[in-house]
Amino acid sequence: MQTTTGTAPAPAPGKQSTPAYELTGVSKVYGSGSAAVAALSDIDLRVEPREVLAIVGASGSGKTTLLQLLGALDRPSAGTVRCDGRDIQSMGEGELSRLRRDTIGFVFQQFNLIPTLTARQNVELVAASTGVPAAARVARAAELLGSVGLSERAGHLPSQLSGGEQQRVAIARALMNRPRVILADEPTGNLDSATGADVLALLQHVAADNGQTLVLITHEQAVTEAAPRVVTLRDGRLISDTRS
Amino acid sequence: MFHLSYMLAELRRRRGRTILTALGLAVGVALVVTVNAVASGLDRAQQDVLAPLTGVGTDMTATRPLAIGDGDGGAEGLTEAERQRLREQAGPGPGLNLRELEPGSTFSTDTFAATRELTFSASQTAEIAAIDGVEAAAGSLTLSANHVSGTVPEIDVTQGGGPGGAPPQGAFGDSDITFESRSVTGVDPAQPDIAAVTPSQITDGEYFSATGSPRQAIVSAAYAGTEGVAVGDIIGLGGEDFRVIGIASSPIGGTASDVYVKLATLQSVADLAGQINAVRVRASSGDLVPAVADAIAAGLEGAQVTTAADLAERVGGSLDDTRELSSTLGTALVIVGLVAAVLIASLLTLASVSKRVRELGTLKALGWSRGAVVRQISGESLIQGLLGGVVGAVAGVIASLAIDAGGWTLEASVSGTADTAQAATAAGGPPGGGPFGLGQAAITTGSELVEISTTPSLPLILLAIGLAVLGGLIAGAAGSLRAARLRPAAALRTVE
Ligand SMILES: Nc1ncnc2c1ncn2[C@@H]1O[C@H](COP(=O)(O)OP(=O)(O)OP(=O)(O)O)[C@@H](O)[C@H]1O
Ligand SMILES: [Mg+2]
Repeated sequence: MQTTTGTAPAPAPGKQSTPAYELTGVSKVYGSGSAAVAALSDIDLRVEPREVLAIVGASGSGKTTLLQLLGALDRPSAGTVRCDGRDIQSMGEGELSRLRRDTIGFVFQQFNLIPTLTARQNVELVAASTGVPAAARVARAAELLGSVGLSERAGHLPSQLSGGEQQRVAIARALMNRPRVILADEPTGNLDSATGADVLALLQHVAADNGQTLVLITHEQAVTEAAPRVVTLRDGRLISDTRS
Repeated sequence: MFHLSYMLAELRRRRGRTILTALGLAVGVALVVTVNAVASGLDRAQQDVLAPLTGVGTDMTATRPLAIGDGDGGAEGLTEAERQRLREQAGPGPGLNLRELEPGSTFSTDTFAATRELTFSASQTAEIAAIDGVEAAAGSLTLSANHVSGTVPEIDVTQGGGPGGAPPQGAFGDSDITFESRSVTGVDPAQPDIAAVTPSQITDGEYFSATGSPRQAIVSAAYAGTEGVAVGDIIGLGGEDFRVIGIASSPIGGTASDVYVKLATLQSVADLAGQINAVRVRASSGDLVPAVADAIAAGLEGAQVTTAADLAERVGGSLDDTRELSSTLGTALVIVGLVAAVLIASLLTLASVSKRVRELGTLKALGWSRGAVVRQISGESLIQGLLGGVVGAVAGVIASLAIDAGGWTLEASVSGTADTAQAATAAGGPPGGGPFGLGQAAITTGSELVEISTTPSLPLILLAIGLAVLGGLIAGAAGSLRAARLRPAAALRTVE
């Protein structure tokens, strides 16, 4: 469907390549003193480029916290998080925002589209500071909306789109800056099951097409069963990591 | 530009807040424009009142007032020669001894008396002109021209109670003797702009011409009115005939003589060759006036220098009161208005950032830098500021023009209070009352209605819009500071 992106090299079997993520002894504590909450404890995790990974676990088990660390939205309390071999602990605010802009694409449970902007403007907005000329941005946004099946809806405001359509706009937005990783926190959580299945299929499809690593949090039994790798959290600990 | 459309979209979404913020700033700006337009209108009105008073370009007048019975600067400081000259010039009024004349015979006599200013050599004009910062200096001579005529009365010695008895009331009893006195000023026709009467004061006829006859006279409108003198008439001065060539109006607060003639003519008629009693001076710049005034006072013995600022103090009335009110109340109003507007704008911007925690967090999570977020928030505030500035400027202009169209008039007045009399002494002569009070150049008292023009100027409008933009930027800075601190994790956590 879409072949313009995808720069990450496929991992050569048997040969050591730089992992998309490498977490060692990662802990995250919110608050301090008696109010401290240990959201993550001693997590070790390695994610290869182009891997598709589902994170599951009960509510409050730390899934979103883990995804925030992967998305360079937060820093761990202990341990190291390496993204593309770079330790996010050592990166400054500006470097982190460039990392988020150029390497990571985010998809949210609540879509998080800017309500005042059209679908196309929402997609375009994230490339505003990349130095890509405006005309090229417009063209790419239109192309991406086409690739998620929304060419006809480019000029619509989020309020004029269905939930599934909004999430597809959000997926197009996540792809805008040609990231190497797509992170999605319950992308189907606000959708009915049929629409959710479509959105999941789309995510997996574009990730595979572009050679992107896909990490998603889900409660869907079907996804968990279909995912090639499933990481389970409980009370902030990684209790299982299964590949099928 | 794309950012701009996002900014505009956001401002449209939060329309109520946007309008409120812009309106707050608009009120501040409208206040700035209106208050300043009124203030400068009042200043201009004051200038208009003062302009003829100071002449077109006279910044100060140097005289040597003689304060009789006053220890400092009085007769004590004079040389014997000066005292002698003063006696000759000032007394004893009409140089006439009726006893020497045959009763029943008619007589007529003309004399000139110096006013309360001492005369001094006209060469002082050149010395003053040589002072640094003096652009032009012109000498003038103001005298009291007295004319006595009539029939020598039959004096009844028996009725008068013998020698040493009090003279009958009115000094000359019921006789037909008339005593006329009027002030006359000699001006240098070569320097009309700083003369005691300027071409702009001429309401009828014309001004002195350098080539014209030495017997030309200009009379004040007030004198012309009471004496029924018109252009073309002949009036007598010191026994000489002068042709009236012009009528001059006298500004209120200014000093006016009854008659103006050329300086050289007056000097010769009054037998005061080379003598003047005032030097009118224009400084090369307004800033230099105080320094020049000091230099003149130091160089001319017993000199008193009256500046335009001293003259301004004479002007009172509702114009003056309103100016004072506008400079105090107006300034307070503007400051309070602007501070309130900026405060409101800042609070509303902070509130709007709080409502957009998730949106701004999402932008950060998707790679927007702090700088980009700050630019977005500041840009929105800037547009609000600009909007408020333009609306406020328009409102201010309308308000100013409405006041202007209302034909607002105020009164500028000069009254003959004790203070005024003192200022008058400094400026050129007492308004009567002194020992030689008759026929002296006098302060023109009365009042004048001045229309206040409150048209706002373009620089003022631009300044006001600039203030609104600045206010918007301050509000934007407050919001940006908050937005910059937002954690990108808010994108996943905040519920809306
Ligand atoms: N900002 C925070 N301050 C304090 N505690 C927090 C904060 N964010 C998360 N927590 C706590 O950390 C723990 C892990 O939260 P997290 O959101 O990662 O769970 P989750 O697995 O995503 O749950 P859910 O499936 O309900 O989304 C929870 O106990 C939560 O209360
Ligand atoms: Mg969660």
